[in-house]
Amino acid sequence: MNSATNQPVADNGRDAVKDPTVPIWLIVVLFLLVFWGAVYFDEHGGWFEPQVYSPYVSAEQLKDFQVAGGPDIMLQGQKIYEKTCITCHGPAALGQPGQFPPLAGSDWVNEKEPGRMIRLVLQGFSGPGLKVNGQPFNTSAAMVPWNSLSDDDLAAVISYVRGNKDWKNTAPAVTPEQVHAIRAKIAAVHPLSFSPTELEAINPAD
Amino acid sequence: MKYGPYVFLAAFFALALSWCGFVVTPQVQLGRAVQETNSVEKAELYPQERSGQARQGLEVYRANGCAYCHSQQVGQQGTLVNVVLKDAGKKTMDVAKVLNDEKLGTFSGPSVAAGLPKTLLQNVSMEQAVALQSLLKNAGATTELHLVPFGPDIERGWGKRRTVADDFITDATVMPGTQRVGPDLANVGMRLPDVKWQLMHLYAPGAVVKDSPMPRYQFLFEKRKIGARPSADALALPKEFAPGDGYEVVPKPEARALVEYLLSLRADTPLYEAPLTPPPAPKTNAPAK
Repeated sequence: MNSATNQPVADNGRDAVKDPTVPIWLIVVLFLLVFWGAVYFDEHGGWFEPQVYSPYVSAEQLKDFQVAGGPDIMLQGQKIYEKTCITCHGPAALGQPGQFPPLAGSDWVNEKEPGRMIRLVLQGFSGPGLKVNGQPFNTSAAMVPWNSLSDDDLAAVISYVRGNKDWKNTAPAVTPEQVHAIRAKIAAVHPLSFSPTELEAINPAD
Repeated sequence: MKYGPYVFLAAFFALALSWCGFVVTPQVQLGRAVQETNSVEKAELYPQERSGQARQGLEVYRANGCAYCHSQQVGQQGTLVNVVLKDAGKKTMDVAKVLNDEKLGTFSGPSVAAGLPKTLLQNVSMEQAVALQSLLKNAGATTELHLVPFGPDIERGWGKRRTVADDFITDATVMPGTQRVGPDLANVGMRLPDVKWQLMHLYAPGAVVKDSPMPRYQFLFEKRKIGARPSADALALPKEFAPGDGYEVVPKPEARALVEYLLSLRADTPLYEAPLTPPPAPKTNAPAK
């Protein structure tokens, strides 16, 4: 009995395919390719960070490259001071007698802890009874809030004012984290300007 | 059509996938980008809005298809670091010992402190630079790291750092281009700041760049009879490009606007996403050569 004659006649070329399943090596190669692609993406893709461009591969690496002398905090603070504060407080930070308080040598500025100063710059200042170095000031000219400035900018300008040796100020610098903490603390509870009595009640280290 | 729904679905998903890649992803990444002070000197706004004439010039650039032959994107291969000693501190012997141990030359206490600032290491990787910096810091010295981007485009002088999306943030139509039949123009305002050169180059590229393949944009200029006296704006053309005797060539407003736009192209400010250390500013007011 010849088995070949009993088989149905195969149609065009289909008998050429002996095993219709995908060979196992091809599946392995495909998985390896997908794995390699994923590793490559992880190492070079920057994970869709908008600020990461080649040749930098990740946000962390880009951070390491932010060293170009470091942003000069006093210079940055000076530029912000000259844009925002100088109108009232003046180029030598002497203010206007009886109207705008001085920053040079001011007891408010030179407090060791920056809590009060950060609050008054962030949220502004109005109300009667302000005294700077014992001098009373007319508070009809209130200070506007500067919470539109970023934490970095506020920390720079406050550090610039507090540490300006030309103005005989010697208070320590302020970090953006301190500004951020106080901004978060007062955002919900204190939407309006501070009054001098309110500020004096606040613990400057808080 | 037996496979109609499958063909439709296959086409739909292929287009949807590319739409997600080309439209949605960039929108998610950069769509909310606003102009902010993200330059390294934070109090400076970068990029500045182009002047009105330069914005008209952008339209001229667009209308004349400049972007078909000129790109506005500088590439960058990597960033190298120079370590610069700013201050040797009080323990100069310790600093000299660190430098000698690192085989950076033979130093003694006084010779370390002389001739500051000086470059100790040039064109090294960030890891090497940071390692040396921390060693020197322990010895009481102050160092600075200077970042030097490199790559073929930067070696050609086409830019100081790579181009990023922020460079285009004030432009309503961006002209990044893809072809480089001509040179990249991302920093042409820094490279070729001469208005007269630019105008002459637009009128007759061959007059200033030998064998330039750029077409002449003479329709941006007016050839006219010299009146009572020659115009101060007339181009000083070499003889073979000059109009006939008694005629002069003056730029039309389009040409002026285009040149204003070209001069406004300079993307060399250090940014957070493309850091570099700019060379120190010249001490005089003379323009950079």
